[in-house]
Amino acid sequence: MQLDLKTIEALAPDQASLGAAAKLTKRSNWPRLEAHEQLPLIWGECQGSGSNPYRVAFDTSDHGYKCTCPSRKFPCKHILALAWIGATAADSFVRVDQTPDWVNDWLGRRRKPGQSPTPAAANSEGKSIDEASRPAESAPVEDAGAAERREAAQRKRAEDTRSAVSAALDELDQWIADQLRLGLAGFVDASSERCRRIAARLVDLKATALAGRIDELPAKLMALRSEERPDAAIRELGKLVLLAKAWRAAPDDAELKRLVSTSETRDQILANPDALQVESDWEVLGEKIETRRDGLVSHATWLLDLKSTAPRFAVLLDFFPASAGRRSGAFAPGDRFKAKLVFYPSRNPLRALVAERLGDASPGNWPDFAADAAGDPLAAYAAFQDDAPWLSDCPVILPAGAIALDEKDSAWWQAASDPHGIALPVAGSVNQTLLGLDLAATAALWNGARLELLASQSSMGRLDLS
Amino acid sequence: MNELDQAGLARLRDGWISGGAAFELAPAEWKEVAAAASPDEQERRLLAIAAQALDVALRPAAPKTLKQRPPLPVLAWPVLPERLRPSLRAALKYAADARLKTRVATLVASRGFVLHPMDWMPTASSQESPEVYAPWVDWQAGADSGKQSRREHLTAESWDDFYPAARRGALIGLRRSAPALARTLIETKGASESAEVRLALIELMRIGLGADDVPFLKSLSADRSGKVREMAGRLLARLGEHGNPASGGSEDPVAELAAFIEEGKSGFIRRRTTYSPIKPKSQAQQARRADLFATCYFGDLVARFGKTEPDFIGAWQFGVDDGADLFLVRMVSVSGGDAAVASLADLLVAAGGRLAHLALQLMLRLDSGRKRDLIRQILNDAQNLAALNMVEGAEAGWLEWGDLAKGKTLLALRSAFSGDNDVIKRNAEQHLETLGFLANPVAAEKLIGEVVAAGLPPASPSLGLLRLNAALTENPTK
Repeated sequence: MQLDLKTIEALAPDQASLGAAAKLTKRSNWPRLEAHEQLPLIWGECQGSGSNPYRVAFDTSDHGYKCTCPSRKFPCKHILALAWIGATAADSFVRVDQTPDWVNDWLGRRRKPGQSPTPAAANSEGKSIDEASRPAESAPVEDAGAAERREAAQRKRAEDTRSAVSAALDELDQWIADQLRLGLAGFVDASSERCRRIAARLVDLKATALAGRIDELPAKLMALRSEERPDAAIRELGKLVLLAKAWRAAPDDAELKRLVSTSETRDQILANPDALQVESDWEVLGEKIETRRDGLVSHATWLLDLKSTAPRFAVLLDFFPASAGRRSGAFAPGDRFKAKLVFYPSRNPLRALVAERLGDASPGNWPDFAADAAGDPLAAYAAFQDDAPWLSDCPVILPAGAIALDEKDSAWWQAASDPHGIALPVAGSVNQTLLGLDLAATAALWNGARLELLASQSSMGRLDLS
Repeated sequence: MNELDQAGLARLRDGWISGGAAFELAPAEWKEVAAAASPDEQERRLLAIAAQALDVALRPAAPKTLKQRPPLPVLAWPVLPERLRPSLRAALKYAADARLKTRVATLVASRGFVLHPMDWMPTASSQESPEVYAPWVDWQAGADSGKQSRREHLTAESWDDFYPAARRGALIGLRRSAPALARTLIETKGASESAEVRLALIELMRIGLGADDVPFLKSLSADRSGKVREMAGRLLARLGEHGNPASGGSEDPVAELAAFIEEGKSGFIRRRTTYSPIKPKSQAQQARRADLFATCYFGDLVARFGKTEPDFIGAWQFGVDDGADLFLVRMVSVSGGDAAVASLADLLVAAGGRLAHLALQLMLRLDSGRKRDLIRQILNDAQNLAALNMVEGAEAGWLEWGDLAKGKTLLALRSAFSGDNDVIKRNAEQHLETLGFLANPVAAEKLIGEVVAAGLPPASPSLGLLRLNAALTENPTK
């Protein structure tokens, strides 16, 4: 490896980046570190603040780099940390003779220096790797009075937030009553403007998460046929009423706080002894990437527990600014891996973090969930709603079935055992080839109105449908 | 949810849609839950109950009739192994259009595999996809695969059991093994088909075309479709049957075309006849000449000069007028006999360079050996490798490393990837895609090593087809 610390110092955009990179050079932050035997390439996966690890690659010959984090600093701290480990602890890298697909993908698309506009000349001025390596000065010892004052201030802030959120929910209640009084026909037509207005008000009153949900409501309505929109509005507004009531009954409930105001940090979840931890083999069922009206992109990666006898799902949820451009996720649909996941405390634990990657899992079929799926394919959804009626998207495993079309060529999933019984409408358009394939089992998200297909098992193997 | 609740929910729903208080419209039990609150709170409580009812107690009403497609037929060959699908998807992603994607499928079929239907499907009108995909082509066109599974051989009785693509595949096979039987089927069953289908059926007569086909083809001169008559005329011309007998009249197109060709002599000791194109004097004349070359038959033209087809080709002065050369080659391709096509291809390939590229016009008429010779020659010259990209009817996966190593193509590729000219590199990357189709696995593997050593990034998407090719070393059908 042709790397030295001077190079890393010169590449760093500022001293702060070097300082942040220094903290990431601990081996424990990197579940994967690999170097190519012949090519001047190193890469790794760094566990950052997102639920997915960031994928980081560095070309040691021309100092080209790629990281999937949303940082606007180039190179980001993950790149600097990877290069730093490369320069100081090359033994940490496992030597391999093949590059993973995501590195290949980057290599195939990147332009070598000389073909691209010359970047501003790197220099080390104002940056010092020695300074970054120095342990942070220990914080001055806090006296008892100061600690008490700090805790009091924290309590005050929490109390203020609770009051503000309570006021936000009062406004939301009033707003909902207004919509009913004015008529849902008019609400559906003007939902974009009306939702934007109340969402802005909720943000002011610190009900940020709720504001984001209401901001997305018009898009949800518009995705449906016009005759379905009033029912969808009733469903969604009714859920908001339930959520507001639940929060008032238990304002300290972690799940409700997350849905109304703000979420816990990654570190808080990992440190929470009550958080459910599941070590298992996981398959990436699919991804759901949505650009929200607040300018963020939400990237949901749905996972299936391959060792559980009943369907158990997890979702890795990341947000990043849409202006940061397209990001590749750490996982591709169909990937299988062993990992320990930590779930955000919840009545139906779904949102999770990868606490530890433990290698790849072997390919194969899903566990046989047929017994659970027999009968009502939406029984899991009903149970899900019993626990948390304010939520919408519920992952389900559907039994053997097929995709059929109605007279408007909209797709429906139909159970194979009961072709004249239950059929569920599928969101969006489907690949026409799917119409000719038998689906032995299908993983999907059901939101009460539409089925979003994630993946299926069929006689043609696994079908990626997300 | 009972009927009373459902009716109450419907009333509530209608009330909320139009606006105003809906409390009194609610089912009695719901009202009990919502009572003892302010009017706004009553409405909200009812809304929460209604939301749950809609979510859990009611299901979307399935339409009475849902159209299910018949099952996608299982093809005769195995699906590409799962481990190769990432490489396949990379190759398909790099292939810029439907034709190039079909070429990927053709390469995979040459190794005895079919693609996963979620990765690639032939279109309903596809005639370029490998024959093994015929059941999928028919499925795309709306066919019921169950019906097809009942038939085994194409006969007059089973004709209607076959959907178009499967029937076409069966007829191609029959023309190769028993051309007379296929002709009889086309003759008896084709008559009742539409002009478009008749034309496609008659076009298949080119396979295994022989003197026995003449009476039937001649009978088509009375066909009600002009295109069918034209196709039959061309096939007859290939068999040496003069489609347009020279009338000698003032409007004889063959005579008019012959007037654009000058007969001469060359050589001092052994004088031999030569034929050279006369340069047209105007744009109008040029257009007329092009039109005549396209519509007259080669056999009629050479008969005008009293020569055999191969003799005329041997006497043609290539290089005098590039346009006329191209018209003549196309004319031979369309209506020349097999011997004329073979001698013209041999002449052009032997000449190499620009003339070898003209032979690409003959590709659909060439036998396997001549096709390969032609491609080898073009690779050897490396003057216009882009021409290979446009070739129709080339076979997949046969080019050996020796064919590449001894010509100029490899040098040209090395030079392109070691240089810093982006345009040249991009062109060279396109050639890699073509070579990925033509090469055998060993040649593909070696070529990847060569171009990577020359400077092409090992993960370049342009290597996709070569990588897939190199990985496809087994052939389960052999």
